[in-house]
Amino acid sequence: MKLGLVIDLDTCVGCHACAVACKQWNASGTSGPLTDYDPYGGEPSGVWFNRIRNYEVDTYPNNKTINTPMSCMHCEDAACVTVCPTGASYKREEDGIVLVDQDKCMGCNYCAWACPYGARELDRESGTMKKCTLCVDRIYDEELPEAERQPACVLTCPTHARFFGDFDDPDSAVSTMVRERGGYAMMPEVGYQPTNKYLPPRTKPVVETHAEKPPQSNAGGTEKPLSQIQRWIAQQLARQS
Amino acid sequence: MTALSHQCLKPRGALYGLWIAALVIAAVAGLYCAYTMEHAGHHITGMTNRVVWGLPHVFAVSLIVAASGALNAASMASVFNVSIYKPYSRCSVALAISLLIGGVMVLVLDLGRPDRLIVAVTHFNFRSVFSWNVFLYTGFLLLCIVYLWFLCERRYQHQIKRIGLAALVWRIMLTTGTGCIFGFLVGRNSLDSALLAPMFIVLSLVTGTAALALCLLAIARSQQNPLPVATVRSLSTLMIWFVAALGYFAIVHHLTNLYVAEHAASERLVLGGSMAALFWIGFVTVGLAGPLLLLMKNLIADTDADYKTQKRRLQFASAAALIGGASLVYVIIIGSQVSAQRLFPGKTVLASSFGDVGNASYQPSLWEWGLGFGGVAVGLLIFQLLLRLFPFTADRQHS
Repeated sequence: MKLGLVIDLDTCVGCHACAVACKQWNASGTSGPLTDYDPYGGEPSGVWFNRIRNYEVDTYPNNKTINTPMSCMHCEDAACVTVCPTGASYKREEDGIVLVDQDKCMGCNYCAWACPYGARELDRESGTMKKCTLCVDRIYDEELPEAERQPACVLTCPTHARFFGDFDDPDSAVSTMVRERGGYAMMPEVGYQPTNKYLPPRTKPVVETHAEKPPQSNAGGTEKPLSQIQRWIAQQLARQS
Repeated sequence: MTALSHQCLKPRGALYGLWIAALVIAAVAGLYCAYTMEHAGHHITGMTNRVVWGLPHVFAVSLIVAASGALNAASMASVFNVSIYKPYSRCSVALAISLLIGGVMVLVLDLGRPDRLIVAVTHFNFRSVFSWNVFLYTGFLLLCIVYLWFLCERRYQHQIKRIGLAALVWRIMLTTGTGCIFGFLVGRNSLDSALLAPMFIVLSLVTGTAALALCLLAIARSQQNPLPVATVRSLSTLMIWFVAALGYFAIVHHLTNLYVAEHAASERLVLGGSMAALFWIGFVTVGLAGPLLLLMKNLIADTDADYKTQKRRLQFASAAALIGGASLVYVIIIGSQVSAQRLFPGKTVLASSFGDVGNASYQPSLWEWGLGFGGVAVGLLIFQLLLRLFPFTADRQHS
């Protein structure tokens, strides 16, 4: 199995519900607590497994802001696993989830240097490194109804921009989506083969704006284009004359 | 030349007492800082989720790299048979051991969970360059202890060249390993370079020789047994070559980074951004130009300059080289972390509600300064202790 997420950048509205749901679930999960620093102060910060960044594509009037939730990509050849001196960071053979053994992590923080996605979260309170677990304590929980055995971020997304599944199965929903919508991995050039994939935004119809319209001036005597009926009447009149 | 003899350090004067007291205070303060950081968590430091290695790592890496270079005098004497350095071989190895212990101490105490050090020595991931360094540091320490033992035992004199060669090879491996810790990070634009390994080797030669020169001058002063002029001039020549080589590697490293378009942003940060002052003033002016000018003057401008002036120039040049080396390490370690990660290549990143796009900032806390200087103090105290307990100091007659 190769479990991972598909995130649809077309429908993500950047509401941060996934980040909050993730924090809520994992704060009391195997990696918890997810410490907050100065939560009511001027510069609050803390441990977040899922962070949303946004970037702009194209220029006005064709510009669009793309909201991009980013968490651990559960890479096939994860740099964080390679560099971890104690083997606290590991990739599970059975489902490909990358995890941190909190009892073996000595807080050298070298994995945070190695991850090009900034997905590692240093808990400055516990002194250990934490990261997205793909809600491993939820997706295998047989006490939960089968429909709920999904990561918290996927379940909570109000626009259904997040999907969870097995990428090893070519007929799974996630594999199909990636195939049909041209899903891509983030920063493939670094060669870590991320499991998580992103679906690109669909092409939008160009909305005509005032800036694009050719200048129209009644004073110049420019005629309005005739409708179909008007053209037909004009043809009939021309024949009779 | 008279027969080579050594004695224990017998310092005189109140100044020495003050110096030791200052070192003890700094060491205790450093340990207290480490305890506080461990107890309260690293959120009391300037470290953030993006700057995960702070000022203590700058101290640690500088000390470890200098430890490797401090072995220069011993290597010159044992491997290359340069007799002028033979009286200082023991001192050189003792300094290497001391600086390494100081550096590793800072490194360990700055871990998020220093109490789990036992995990680091019982669980190894051999794919990790960090893991190799555990072997490189412990191996270096053991080799140096054996080296010192052989240097002190008359019956092992014929083995000194072999152990000296082993130590030389090992220290080159050590600094290569330290450079690779950074050079292997392909996800960081300002690093990700094979040049970092040789640059760290040269950096070790500069800072190690500078540290040894300062120590030898201080010992000579406390013993009222001045260093021979030939030694001062030889150390000056060595320093010139090493500093020039470091400058060469730094220039090539930055020029190649400028040539690669994707590295341009991180280079702008170093050459004209928040790291610029430290790079241009700390490293280029103080660390490169300063020592080169002073030492060239020692060798070329006025060869007849009196001994005191030559000694003072070497002293200032060594101190400047140490400041420059630490500045370079700071620029490499902190600069590469505060530099914005290229999360969306070719896109203009607008914002993140987590405030983690664009260049980060880092302000070291007093706790970090304390731990860093504490490590230096512990290293120097160990050095003093070794010199007081064992006959590692060259005798007066030899000078």
